[in-house]
Amino acid sequence: MSSALSTRIGGQSRLSPAPAGSPLQRKVPMSVSRLAWYGLCTLLALTMLTPLLWMISIALKTNSDIISLPPQFLPSSFTWRNFVDGPREVHFYRLLGNTFIIAIVSTFGAVASSMLAGYAIARIDFKGNRFLFYLFTFSIFVPGIVTLIPIQRLFFDANAIDTWYPLILPSFFGNPLFIFLARQFFLSVPRSIDDSAMIDGAGHWRIFTHLMLPLTKPLWMTMIILAFQASWNDFLNPLVYLNSPSKYTLSLGMASFMGGLNSGASPEYNYYMASNLLFMIPPLLLFFFAQRYFMMGLGALGMTGK
Amino acid sequence: MASTGWLTFRRRNTITAYVFALPMIVGVCIFTIYPLVSSLYHAFTEWSGVSAAKWVGLANFRYLLTQDPTFWPSLKVTVYYMALSVPAGMIAGLALAVLLNRAFAGIRLFRTVFYLPVVLPSIAVLTLWKYIFDPSYGLANEILSDLHLPTSQWLAGSATAMPSIVIVGLWGVGGSMIIFLAALQNVPSELYEAARVDGAGAIRLFRSITLPMMTPILLLQLVLGLSAAFQTFNQVQVLTKGGPGTSTNLYMFKIYTDAFGNYTQLGLASAEAWILFIIVLAITAVTLRTSRMWVFEGNER
Repeated sequence: MSSALSTRIGGQSRLSPAPAGSPLQRKVPMSVSRLAWYGLCTLLALTMLTPLLWMISIALKTNSDIISLPPQFLPSSFTWRNFVDGPREVHFYRLLGNTFIIAIVSTFGAVASSMLAGYAIARIDFKGNRFLFYLFTFSIFVPGIVTLIPIQRLFFDANAIDTWYPLILPSFFGNPLFIFLARQFFLSVPRSIDDSAMIDGAGHWRIFTHLMLPLTKPLWMTMIILAFQASWNDFLNPLVYLNSPSKYTLSLGMASFMGGLNSGASPEYNYYMASNLLFMIPPLLLFFFAQRYFMMGLGALGMTGK
Repeated sequence: MASTGWLTFRRRNTITAYVFALPMIVGVCIFTIYPLVSSLYHAFTEWSGVSAAKWVGLANFRYLLTQDPTFWPSLKVTVYYMALSVPAGMIAGLALAVLLNRAFAGIRLFRTVFYLPVVLPSIAVLTLWKYIFDPSYGLANEILSDLHLPTSQWLAGSATAMPSIVIVGLWGVGGSMIIFLAALQNVPSELYEAARVDGAGAIRLFRSITLPMMTPILLLQLVLGLSAAFQTFNQVQVLTKGGPGTSTNLYMFKIYTDAFGNYTQLGLASAEAWILFIIVLAITAVTLRTSRMWVFEGNER
């Protein structure tokens, strides 16, 4: 169900003709209603973009611009140096490195472990298959906050507070939602493929690595994007587990720098916003280069729950 | 194959399957089942995290329901937040989806623009909006005063703080817009054609065809939205820290403060987490139960 729907979202959406406008359009000349539509959409789009444009303007303002009252929308002069000084002040590149390492390792762990589990549950007949299915479906519905305190105690007892282990390790033990997606996808691959490979003497590992991985590219690309995004955006876990600023991720580091600005004497919002713009760029690039998989993942999430 | 001949095919399959699923099995045990049992047990204890947990029976629940000065206010604030943010998000998402369900040139550009804020990191968005809402330097008051409207305290005013948080959430309306758009495109166009032949107008088409056909996805979005609203945390942590006063002290933030704040009460926080779990389950069950009255069940699947 989800894949049928989501390919529709991502693909060149076979649009059904506008239902709402048609009776109107017969009376009013086509161009007028279309013009009104463009006008409305442009107005709304500008409203959505205004906060971002304002952020770019702040990022380019001088130190005296940002404390002048009343505030001006445009900077008095473009201070490109903010994109050098800002990240240095925020320790942006250290945070960026930390975040990249954590995101890449935990993405790999989540995708690999979930693919294997999904394959086993969908395509191997064995005792306990059904039980495993119920086991992970059940864990999808448990809110994170209920398990957070005991898990935090586990890592505390293991002396892993203020390390990256709590942010990385759990992802190597399968993500219930990803397993669900993987199972659905694997179920849709024809059985005859494995049967003929098995006659040729291939085992499950060979079938998984040589046949299934190439066939399921849309599946694991979607998972990679979802996992990377989740790790990149995670705030609560770094907040709970990390204490030393040198280990902070971007979300935690940026939020704590912003928190300090409010009480600070010189509000360096121009530095902050320049860094914030850089913080937004990796997910934006990911979105533009992998838009198809992005939309598929969104459809899958919308269908199965977050 | 010959070397493993003593293993039947079936048994070999079972072993392979369990090897493949081993990480997941271990993961569910360590990161779901054990924590559930542990947190259920600790909900009935007094536990500072430093000394051992002490069994106190129902004392935590009794304290929360009858004495805790912040428990009921926090639940009330959370319900207020849900009542504002969930309908607003769904209506705006549906309206945008209907608006963008056209085949005009440039439609992809508009869809991308509306979806853009959803892609951005949550903390980047929240910190940006925190400054937008700054009463003296922020964009929000700059626009209001340019329009000669009275300015607002936004996040700093106890009446305006919660609506401000809802506005930030509405910036991300593109998420539900995309899902509704997909659902709109799944409505068979024959239905519209038939109704139009019968002389139905635009509003009638929307009310009698589009809305009923959309009810399954609306229901799903409602359940997900309510559950997500009850677990909202980042907004409060970054924007208001629960203030001013307790005006934005959402329930999830209260659990976090009790568990990891200055004064650690892990037993109490576990009890609160279980109350959240039960409320979320109850909301989901009630919504699904009542859904039969308004969700259209077609025979398409």
